[in-house]
Amino acid sequence: MNRGPFIFLGVFIILSLTWALVINKPIQESGHLSPIFDAEQGGRLPMNAKGGAAQGKLVYQEFGCIACHTQQVRVSSGFDLQRGWGERQSVARDYIDQTPALIGNTRLGPDLSNVGQRRSDREWHLLHFYNPQITSKGSNMPSMPFLFETREIVGEPTNRALKLSAEYAVADGYEVIPSRKAEALVAYMKSLKVTYDLKEAPKSKDVMLEELTAALENAK
Amino acid sequence: MNLIGNLCSSLCSNLEGDAKNRGTQRTIDASIRFPLVSLFKAAVCWMLIATVFGLIASIKLHTPSFMEECQYMTYGKVEPIFWNTLIYGWLFNAGLGCAVFLLARLGGVPLKQGVSLTIMTVIWNLAVVIGVIGIMLGDQLPYEWLEFPSYTAPIFFVSFLGIGLWCAMAFRARVQRSTYASQWWILVALFSFAWIYSAAQIMLVCSPAQGAFQNLVSAWYAENVFGLLIAPLAFASIYYLIPKTLGISVVGYRYTGIAFWSWILFASVAGAAKMVNGPIPVWVASVGVIATFGLLLPTTTFSIQFLGSLLSRFSKIWDSASARFLFAGVVSFIAVMMFKIWGALRGSQEVVQFSIFDSGVNQLAMFGFAGMVFTGASYFILPRLLNKELPSSTLVDLQFGAHVLGLILLAIGLISGGIHQGELINGSTADMLTVVNTMRGSYFLTSMGLSLLLLGAIAYNVTFFWMLLSTRSEKEASTSLIEEAPELEYTAS
Repeated sequence: MNRGPFIFLGVFIILSLTWALVINKPIQESGHLSPIFDAEQGGRLPMNAKGGAAQGKLVYQEFGCIACHTQQVRVSSGFDLQRGWGERQSVARDYIDQTPALIGNTRLGPDLSNVGQRRSDREWHLLHFYNPQITSKGSNMPSMPFLFETREIVGEPTNRALKLSAEYAVADGYEVIPSRKAEALVAYMKSLKVTYDLKEAPKSKDVMLEELTAALENAK
Repeated sequence: MNLIGNLCSSLCSNLEGDAKNRGTQRTIDASIRFPLVSLFKAAVCWMLIATVFGLIASIKLHTPSFMEECQYMTYGKVEPIFWNTLIYGWLFNAGLGCAVFLLARLGGVPLKQGVSLTIMTVIWNLAVVIGVIGIMLGDQLPYEWLEFPSYTAPIFFVSFLGIGLWCAMAFRARVQRSTYASQWWILVALFSFAWIYSAAQIMLVCSPAQGAFQNLVSAWYAENVFGLLIAPLAFASIYYLIPKTLGISVVGYRYTGIAFWSWILFASVAGAAKMVNGPIPVWVASVGVIATFGLLLPTTTFSIQFLGSLLSRFSKIWDSASARFLFAGVVSFIAVMMFKIWGALRGSQEVVQFSIFDSGVNQLAMFGFAGMVFTGASYFILPRLLNKELPSSTLVDLQFGAHVLGLILLAIGLISGGIHQGELINGSTADMLTVVNTMRGSYFLTSMGLSLLLLGAIAYNVTFFWMLLSTRSEKEASTSLIEEAPELEYTAS
């Protein structure tokens, strides 16, 4: 081991082989998935994100929401389904349109794969971003007042203004207006839902059992 | 502890110094003084900055209203800034400083082109600054430890290429043809980082892998930053400092080859273990779990070598600042590897997945293992480089105490807290708000730990700049303070 080139060569061979095994091989084998067309479930699966939601995804990325929120549902371990975070396992095909994919690996807050299904109310999300204590007392999510503008009411109050309870109300004659970033983030939250089935995605044990029984009866 | 002041002469009191040999060493040290001092300057400053950001992030977890008005300091921005300044700021600069010193000393020849190395490292540090500002402005990438905006990548890459080539030239220029384990580890760190960094940038930014597989590349990269960049630089320092500070050769040195190759093999795959139950093929995660378990082999070898050496001269450890930090670093390393291996097993993944357990183990690895080893090394290198004594043994004691206590609090807060959090998230349907409430105590403990680490970082900064700025005393100016043991300078493999 007294020669530099020998060490270089040894390390190069090991690193190339392990890279080929754990990175390149899985990508070659299953990293080139294409969408599925299923007329019954509404056409192309997974569904494309709409314009406003795509803007919101950038906001999500900008403020580093991924530090606390995952976007993946597991079936084989944990209680993700019982918590209502999803109905089936997240699989690779769910993410094929996402670059970057905001999957995440820390859950200081809830999983957001299906937050659009759980919370479809625009007002709830806006209040939550303005100050999470309004909607989830005791949460340690940071409030994001900089996504809102507090301004004097000129003439009639705007209908876009937040409806704040007395405890959190701003001074008389003022109103809180969500910025475009806040609206985009809400659109992104509402777009996060996996409402379609994929053949390769395992569901909860009960659902799979039901489907299996039905299939068996059909066969009979 | 009063021996710390004249640490170096006390180390090898039973061995005679060789004036001629010391003369050569002083020429070698002089040739790298400029780049090394600038590397350590950058390292201590980044250490302070990283710890401050770590503390802010930790406070935000239990008091979310802290600095909530500032959109440049949301938790999601402060957390990646903390990790990236910790790794690319503090540990990279400190580790590279140790590596350059080792290459020069073990090679036995004064190195040329110190200025070009300095220019490259300045560019590197500018890239870190740009990256931090970029994250604050909202350009961050969502990949672990690669959050620096994509426009900093070419700067990092070019400057690292320069640094790597300089070190390769320094290695080639050696007069001692046979090599020591420290040199192997330095070569590994330099080569691997060029490889993993370019591979990750290509597969995540230039032509991104499809959706879910970005997560795999990102996990592979993050694990390799520890396993193939930071840890090897720390191993290099340990292999050199054990003989130097304790006056013995490393116990079981002939098994180094096994530990070396098995570590590279297993560490380069271990990252895939994080993918358990995720949206990628199951076998990939299984390979990662097996590789992580395989790390038991090199870990055992390292433990026997390092702990065996340190414990055989246990009384000497407390006389030398370097050896004390080294000891704390080695103990942290063993703890980190035990947690990593345990945490990768299927059964424990079902508990700790997605909790702050991983963050705790990583912080212990970075602050406890690499940070303590590099700090110990710097207490060995700086007196030699500057020909000055450490200005205050109290400050060194303070730093050591604060760091050890801080690490213990951090480990309890994040690792044991993480296991508890994982039990609630993965093992029950408890409401997330209940989980947050239960975890508040752990978050407080982490903040206290980080406050202590900050205190230690301040003590370190004061020591460093005091030493740098003080004028030499008559004794320091007239003679060489350090009596080296020449027979330990070079150990045949």
